[in-house]
Amino acid sequence: MMLKYRLLWGGLFYKKLRLVLSVIGIIIGVSSLLLMNAFGEAAKIRTLKEIETFGPEVLMVVAGNVRVSAGRAIQTEITTTLKPEDAEALQKIGGIRFISPYFTGDAIVRFAGNTLSTILNGVNEEYLILRKFSLEEGRNFLKDEILSYKKVVILGNKVKAQLFGKENPVGQTILINKLPFKVIGVLSPIGIDASNADQDDQVLIPYTIAISAVYNVDYIRGIFISVEDPSNLHFIEKQIDSILSKRHKVTEKNKDFTIVKAEDILQAKTQTTNLFSSLVKSISVLCLVVGALGVTAIMTLAVNERKKEIGIRKAIGAKERDILLQFLIESVIITLLGGIIGVVLGVVLTLILLPLFNYPLIFPVIPILTSTGLTIIFGIFAGVYPSYKASKVDPIVLLRSF
Amino acid sequence: MGDKIVILEDIQKTYQIGKVPYQVLKGIDLKVEQGEFLVIMGTSGSGKTTLLNIIGLLDKPTSGRYFLEGEEVSKFDSKKLAYIRNKKLGFIFQAFHLVPWATALENVLLPLLYRPDGFSKNDEKRAISLLERLGLGERIHAKPKELSGGQQQRVAIARALITSPKLLLADEPTGNLDSSSSKEVMKIFKELNAEGLTIIMVTHDPEIAKNGKRIKVIEDGIFVDEKQI
Ligand SMILES: Nc1ncnc2c1ncn2[C@@H]1O[C@H](COP(=O)(O)OP(=O)(O)OP(=O)(O)O)[C@@H](O)[C@H]1O
Ligand SMILES: [Mg+2]
Repeated sequence: MMLKYRLLWGGLFYKKLRLVLSVIGIIIGVSSLLLMNAFGEAAKIRTLKEIETFGPEVLMVVAGNVRVSAGRAIQTEITTTLKPEDAEALQKIGGIRFISPYFTGDAIVRFAGNTLSTILNGVNEEYLILRKFSLEEGRNFLKDEILSYKKVVILGNKVKAQLFGKENPVGQTILINKLPFKVIGVLSPIGIDASNADQDDQVLIPYTIAISAVYNVDYIRGIFISVEDPSNLHFIEKQIDSILSKRHKVTEKNKDFTIVKAEDILQAKTQTTNLFSSLVKSISVLCLVVGALGVTAIMTLAVNERKKEIGIRKAIGAKERDILLQFLIESVIITLLGGIIGVVLGVVLTLILLPLFNYPLIFPVIPILTSTGLTIIFGIFAGVYPSYKASKVDPIVLLRSF
Repeated sequence: MGDKIVILEDIQKTYQIGKVPYQVLKGIDLKVEQGEFLVIMGTSGSGKTTLLNIIGLLDKPTSGRYFLEGEEVSKFDSKKLAYIRNKKLGFIFQAFHLVPWATALENVLLPLLYRPDGFSKNDEKRAISLLERLGLGERIHAKPKELSGGQQQRVAIARALITSPKLLLADEPTGNLDSSSSKEVMKIFKELNAEGLTIIMVTHDPEIAKNGKRIKVIEDGIFVDEKQI
């Protein structure tokens, strides 16, 4: 049996350099196609994970004008008109489940000679449940601690690791911008959220102490709100809008706050990722097309060089169909060879690059199947022309010339 | 005498060179008996190869009728012709025309690839014993470029014989060989013929021609002379 295949395709491995050259284009095309598909899959999973902490039931009132760009809510100016009292006023709206004032700033935190700069977020006791953050150690804020300006802190997972290593920090006292705070809890690892902020690189303290003692201001940056029924979201959004407009005495034109929904962030985000991934996908398909054309070119060259062999095969009884099939399969073998190497390379690259770019690690099963399928199709496509030429070789012309 | 293996009736072949028709064969009549060793001689350009290609079913006559073992093969389509070539004919060329990447043994086995019933178990044994018989027992795994001209031609003979053909067609089989290799090849041809194989050989070397049993001379596309040896 082996003999049959050896007699049919032994010629493939005769010119090794040429085989390598024709395979390289396919390798590049397939591995990049696979990589891009894997990144696309991982991005989808990442987005799903991200909305978990900023769900469809969550609203954010942001002080000032906000532009949503590339999935990021960007504050275009600092406004000082959003006050903690505004948050209190919003509590009256029916259908609101949780609400938390929010102040954010940079902070230097310190413990036993370890210093690092991180993001400080001032919130209340409802913030953790609202964002669905869970605690690895310790406990949440108490309502009383918020109201009485207690200097207590919940550490983000990375901050905890950097300050305390494997030790339990609960009960220890750290310095935040030189003020002592007692650690009451540690967040479980969360990762990057929908607003592209690394939720593991932060410290949470009561918003009351954040604005009064740490930053010494009388305003907040935003209000997180979650509603009981996401289908009421638009209705509640309207109420928030009218209450705040009345309180701030602003109209649509000079409004000093913006309401951001998960929907808005997600929409902008998927738009950009979709655009990006379709661009990259078309580039890698183009790579594959170029690779396939390379196979066509090299197969055509091989057919020209092997005209004599084809002539002999025909003289001793090969039909046109036999020759056509031989060269068609030959080009599929070449592309498949490149395809297999490309898939292996692509999988290795995927497994290396995904974690490097903070994407969730997935084993790209569907991308593997699609790229392999595409390779076979492109192999046939690449072989059609040279194989047709081969099948039309006239034995007498060749056998005549010595 | 015995059965006619080849009957050619008024075979004509005209090539079109640009718009000018060029008649190479001008009415060839030929009968070849089972077991004959026919030599076709003639000067260069007289149409020997053209005639042999027509007999070998590699080329089609412009007009005339051709019967091979009683079948009118001039009416067959290319698929059927390929089948007949594989089943009934063996070819030997001046330039050997071995497949360069394949070993001697693989070259010999190549025609079996196109046999409808495929390989059978003892094909490889048969190929090896054919090569052994032709004095290549030691070189069955050698590539063509590792073999001398005479050895290559003997591989080509083994390849022609593997399908047990009815008719062996040889176009200047010694044209690229030195005199001692030529003698060896001719010795093989004579042995094969003695065993009953019908051979048609083209040559313009009178010494080589003497190995045949009958010589026909072609001149400008027509037979002019015939002599029995
Ligand atoms: N495909 C073709 N198209 C046009 N003319 C051809 C073709 N093949 C052969 N000829 C011409 O036909 C004539 C006979 O050619 P052929 O090869 O049969 O001669 P030959 O007797 O075998 O010669 P040689 O001894 O040189 O091999 C030559 O003039 C040749 O140029
Ligand atoms: Mg000739």
